[in-house]
Order: sequence, then C-alpha cells, then structure tokens
Amino acid sequence: MTNAALGAARPEGVPLASVILRPSRSLPRRGFAWLLLITWALLLLPLIPLLGTAALWVMLPFLLAVLLALWLSFERSYRDGELCEELILWPEMIHVHRHNPRAAAQSWQASPYWTRLKLTPEGGPVENYLTLRGNGREIELGAFLSPEERADLYDRLGDELARARAPVHPAPQ
Amino acid sequence: MADAAVHTHDDHAKKSFFTRWFMSTNHKDIGILYLFTAATLGFVSVVFTVYMRMELMNPGVQYFCAEGARFIADASRECTPNGHFWNVIITGHGILMMFFVVIPALFGGFGNYFMPLMIGAPDMAFPRMNNLSYWMYVAGSSLAVISLLTPGGDGQLGSGVGWVLYAPLSVREGGMSMDFAIFAVHLSGASSILGAINMITTFLNMRAPGMTLHKTPLFPWSIFVTAFLILLSLPVLAGAITMLLTDRNFGTTFFDPNGGGDPILYQHLLWFFGHPEVYMIIVPGFGIISHVISTFSKKPIFGYLPMVYAMVAIGALGFVVWAHHMYTVGMSLTQQSYFMLATMVIAVPTGIKIFSWIATMWGGSIELKTPMLFAFGFLFLFTVGGVTGIVLSQAPIDRIYHDTYYVVAHFHYVMSLGAVFCIFAGIYYWIGKMSGRQYPEWAGKLHFFTFFIGANLTFFPQHFLGRQGMPRRYIDYPVEFAYWNHLSSIGAFISFASFVFFIGIVFYTLKFGKRVTENSYWGEYADSLEWTVSSPPPEHTFETLPTPDMWDKAHH
Repeated sequence: MTNAALGAARPEGVPLASVILRPSRSLPRRGFAWLLLITWALLLLPLIPLLGTAALWVMLPFLLAVLLALWLSFERSYRDGELCEELILWPEMIHVHRHNPRAAAQSWQASPYWTRLKLTPEGGPVENYLTLRGNGREIELGAFLSPEERADLYDRLGDELARARAPVHPAPQ
Repeated sequence: MADAAVHTHDDHAKKSFFTRWFMSTNHKDIGILYLFTAATLGFVSVVFTVYMRMELMNPGVQYFCAEGARFIADASRECTPNGHFWNVIITGHGILMMFFVVIPALFGGFGNYFMPLMIGAPDMAFPRMNNLSYWMYVAGSSLAVISLLTPGGDGQLGSGVGWVLYAPLSVREGGMSMDFAIFAVHLSGASSILGAINMITTFLNMRAPGMTLHKTPLFPWSIFVTAFLILLSLPVLAGAITMLLTDRNFGTTFFDPNGGGDPILYQHLLWFFGHPEVYMIIVPGFGIISHVISTFSKKPIFGYLPMVYAMVAIGALGFVVWAHHMYTVGMSLTQQSYFMLATMVIAVPTGIKIFSWIATMWGGSIELKTPMLFAFGFLFLFTVGGVTGIVLSQAPIDRIYHDTYYVVAHFHYVMSLGAVFCIFAGIYYWIGKMSGRQYPEWAGKLHFFTFFIGANLTFFPQHFLGRQGMPRRYIDYPVEFAYWNHLSSIGAFISFASFVFFIGIVFYTLKFGKRVTENSYWGEYADSLEWTVSSPPPEHTFETLPTPDMWDKAHH
C-alpha cells in the first residue's frame, strides 16, 4: 500500500527500518468457521420438523436472517481489525501510512533529519502517547497498542532515527 | 493517521445531555440505560402484582369490578367480576417480566456494562448497533404498554391471553391490542438478536491479547452462553408470532384445524423459544453469583472449567426439553417419556454448579456483606425452586399439577427468588463501581431480610394451593383456598414494601452515598478487570489493551 501512496516518490534503496502495527482480534478464522457451522446445525433443529409444511416458509427467513447477520457482523469485525499502520524509514524519508478499513487511507512523510519523536507519558489521550512531528504536521502512532509497546517503539524508533540522521562517514581504513 | 491530539482527553467537547443519553455509543452508559428502564418497567409489573394479590387476598371479587376497577374495596356497592380485566393484568405482568424486565436488566444492563470491561475490550464490537438495540427495546416496551390501553378482547381494552399468547385464543382475541402485543414482541426480539450478535462478536473477537477462552472470567462466559441462546431461539419465536399475525389478519390457517393447521404447533414453536428463555433469564445470574461468591469467600471459584462447561451444557440441553410445558396436550407416551428424561438430565450440570459454589465457600473466609447475603439466598432458594421443577418434570405428576399454583410457585421461586436475587446481588456488588458512591450496609441488609421474608411468604404457600388443586390465571377461587391466599398476599405486600425501600436506597446512594476511593473496594479477591479501573470508570476504558499481569492472577 505504501507503493501506491508514494509511487514515484518512493526512495531508492533498502529501508533502514520498517514496522507494521495492527490491532488484535482474538478469534482465528478457523474458529469463526466452527462458530457458523455450529450455529447452522442448531438452527436446523426447529426447521426439520417443519419440512413439508407451510410454516417452514415463515420460519426459514428468520433463521437465515440470523445466520446472515452473524456472518456479516464477524466479517465487519475482522475488517475493522484490518486497521493497520505501516512505518518505513529511509535515510532521506520517513513515511507512515495508515490503512483505514472503510475510510480513505492516510499518509504522511517527512525528512528524518527534521522529524521529532515525542512520548507523552501522562496527559495525552492514552498513556505513553507517541507522536511524530514533521512536514508541518504532528501525527499519532500506534494508538491501539499497549503503553509498554509504545514505549518500546519509542526507543527503537529513536535509535533508527538517530541512525538515519547520522552523517555518512567513509568506512575506517 | 489521526492528527495528533496533544491536549488531554477531557478536552473533547463535553457531550450534551441529549447526545450522551439518546445517541450513546458507550457500553457503560447503555448498560445504565438498560438498568433504569428495566427497573421502571419492573416497578410497573410489580404494581400489577400487588393489585392482583389485593384481589386474591380474600375470596370473592372486590377490586376487579366491571362497574369500574377499584383500589378500595366497597362492600356496599355491587362488584360484578371483570374476568377480562384480570386476564389483561396477568398477561401484562407476564409479558413485562418475561420480555422487558429481567433479561434487559441482566443481559442488557450488567452484560453491556461489565462484559467488555472484564475481557479488556474498549467497547462492544458495534457500539452504534448497541444503541439501536436499546432504543428498539424501549420502543417494544412502549408498544406493550400501549397494547394494554388499546381496544382488545371482550369489547374492553387490552388482551387477556396469557404471556404465552396461545392460539386459538390469541388468534380470535378481538380488537387490535393483540397485534400491538405481537409487534412489541417482534421489536423486543429484534433488539435481543442484535444485542446477542454484538455480545458474541465482542466476546469472541475482542478479548485482550493472551486472554484465551479458558482464561475468561465466568460472567462474560455466562453472557456468551445467554447470547447464543438468544440467537438460536428468538428467530423461532419471531416465526411463531408472525404466523399468529397472519392467522389473525391475513386469513392463513397455520393454527386452525379447519384449514389444515394445528394449535399445538404454536405451542411447540412457542416453547422451543420459551424454555431457552428461562435459561436466558438465569444464566447471567449464575455468572454474577460466581463473581460474588468468589469475592466474599476470598477464594477463587472451585472448578473453573466445569463451571464453564456446565453453563454450556445447561444452555445446550435447554433446547431439547421444551415440551415439558405441554405434557397435557395429548402427545404420545414416547414423546412424553423422552421429554421427561431429557428434562431430568438438566439437573446434572445445574447440580455441578450448586456444589461448586458451596465448595468455593468451603474453607473460605466468608464475609456476609449484602451481595453475599443475596448470593446465599439465591443458592438456597434456587435449589428449592429447582427441586419443585424436578417434581413437575414427571409427566404423570404434571398431569395433576399443570396449570395449578404449584407451577406458579415453582417458577416464581426460580425467577423471583432466583434471578431477582441475582439482580440485587449484582446491584449491591457493582453500584459502587458504576456510580463512585457506596450504599449504606445496614440498609442493604434490611432490604435483604424484608425481601427474603416477603418473597418466601408470598410463594411458599402457593405450593400448598397447587397441591390442593387451585388453578392459575383465575380471578377468584372457592372459599376453601382462602387461608393460604391470604398469607400469600401479606407476603406480597411485605415484598412490595421492601422494593420501595430498595428504590429509596438507590436514590440515597446515588445522591448522598459515601464516595468510593479505591478501584477494588471489595478487596483483592475481586480480581476481574472491572476492579482495575476507577469508580466510576472513565468514559473510555481499555483504549490501551490490558496486559496479562492485570488479569491473569498467578497467585490464585
């Protein structure tokens, strides 16, 4: 998705660092399949005795509607879970791309040299509020992570940004 | 990504009253809305019962008069019994309690408030649909009340068909009151189904990282089982009442033998929903009781996995026993035998739970605070109601007891003295957490003792009346039944007084109660995640997901 966002502006060369952040979803897809299967099997219970009667046609739409609603709701929940932030760092550019499930994607890039990373332990919307300031904007990062994960990310990113800012020296002879 | 919001969270514009309470997407606020609405409708339903018990206090009809209903008996004026009005009031009591009071309070109220907190989720999976569920519930209950006041059967207002709405009486009931009642149940059913989908998605897909299903506390599990029961049984009810509607208004004959239909089909469909319904009423209560008993015995629950799977078993078995409500309709011997045996099997997982709660208390350090008193009361009284249920499960015995006061006594023991005790236990346990203020302990204990005495005095004598043959749903009775009816009515008045006192306790606590300072004011053995947030919790909780050290207490 970053390729789509940056297109021709994507720097050459291998990035120094790249991080992908996403929210947690606790039911694996296999579990979802089992859930639907069990629900369908149990919904058959009231349906089978009605086979061959007119009453079947009144009951069937309600049962199908419930099964459909369950399927749709989990699909929607998984889609909400597709919220994802990708951060890529080159020596000449830092790029953060946020993929929103149902809204337009958001994108930000700046020069790493002038980018400021800030961790606000208290007083922000969440504990250990992590922000990046650059290119005239300040953006938040990893709002859906835990505070410890954000503190960790702050340390790692700080190191990587320092590396990106360092002037290039020729290798020692 | 959202542009940085460096200012503190309080800075987002304070919501207006209308936005906060009418357009809520906050599971805690919606839970509170459900609790207050259920309490109001519960009060209405209780007032109906007080009026009924006034009538049944003495033989003869003194209050439900065709000349005009009275609140003060007047022997000098004639009182022609108004059987239709009586039927309307008992129907209203049943419909309100079964659809609009107990489940909204336990599942919609406590379920919405505490299930996301206990699994460490920031809110329900679909917060706006949550709000829709609540307002559909309000709409449904409004229709139910309107139904009582709309032209109905017998040339009077309201439908007198019993909360189960059996065909052919409900098909033939005149007027439009019955159709309003059907729509009320449709709306309430849709509200419940959407709510159940919300709960299932949240429970399965939004648990905090590391919280596997087998580490999830018992109350969220109870809500999950209940949600599944709702998901599977409400569509069948919807189908059944839709067929009633078409039989009434569009000339179909699903339940009319003259057109090839069968009234017993309605009963099968209704009770296929109706039996899981009573488990929906009690299973969230089981969850609350587990938390309360564990906290006040200062011990973890005995046998976590058996408790979980006992609830699952009760839920699953609840689907295959429905016709024990229909032993007298003419089913074959084989059918009756099957349902009898299946019903008896449910006693096993239920017994496992009761023994586990007792084992939890065994060797624990018991503190008899008000929630624990209600839990103790629940344990004993639900068992009493359960054993009369076993008696009724025996088809030949039910042949005699069906539609007598023995049945009325049984289900009021398990529901009024079971589920309602669970609701009160939950309120006293969590009111400090929800409001930040604590109730006066002496008042809670006084409420418990008066309600315990009142409710038992109301319903225990009804076992005798049933055994002596008094039928249910009648406005009057032969004079031989007078003694126990009189006592039962006195019990009802004591219970009502205790309920009014309880309302006073709630208002006092919310306005003047002592402020709660600690997050976990019941001590360290209240260890599910709601006890890690402040009292009351902030508007947004767990925007940062909790870590296992917060809920996976290794020292247990």
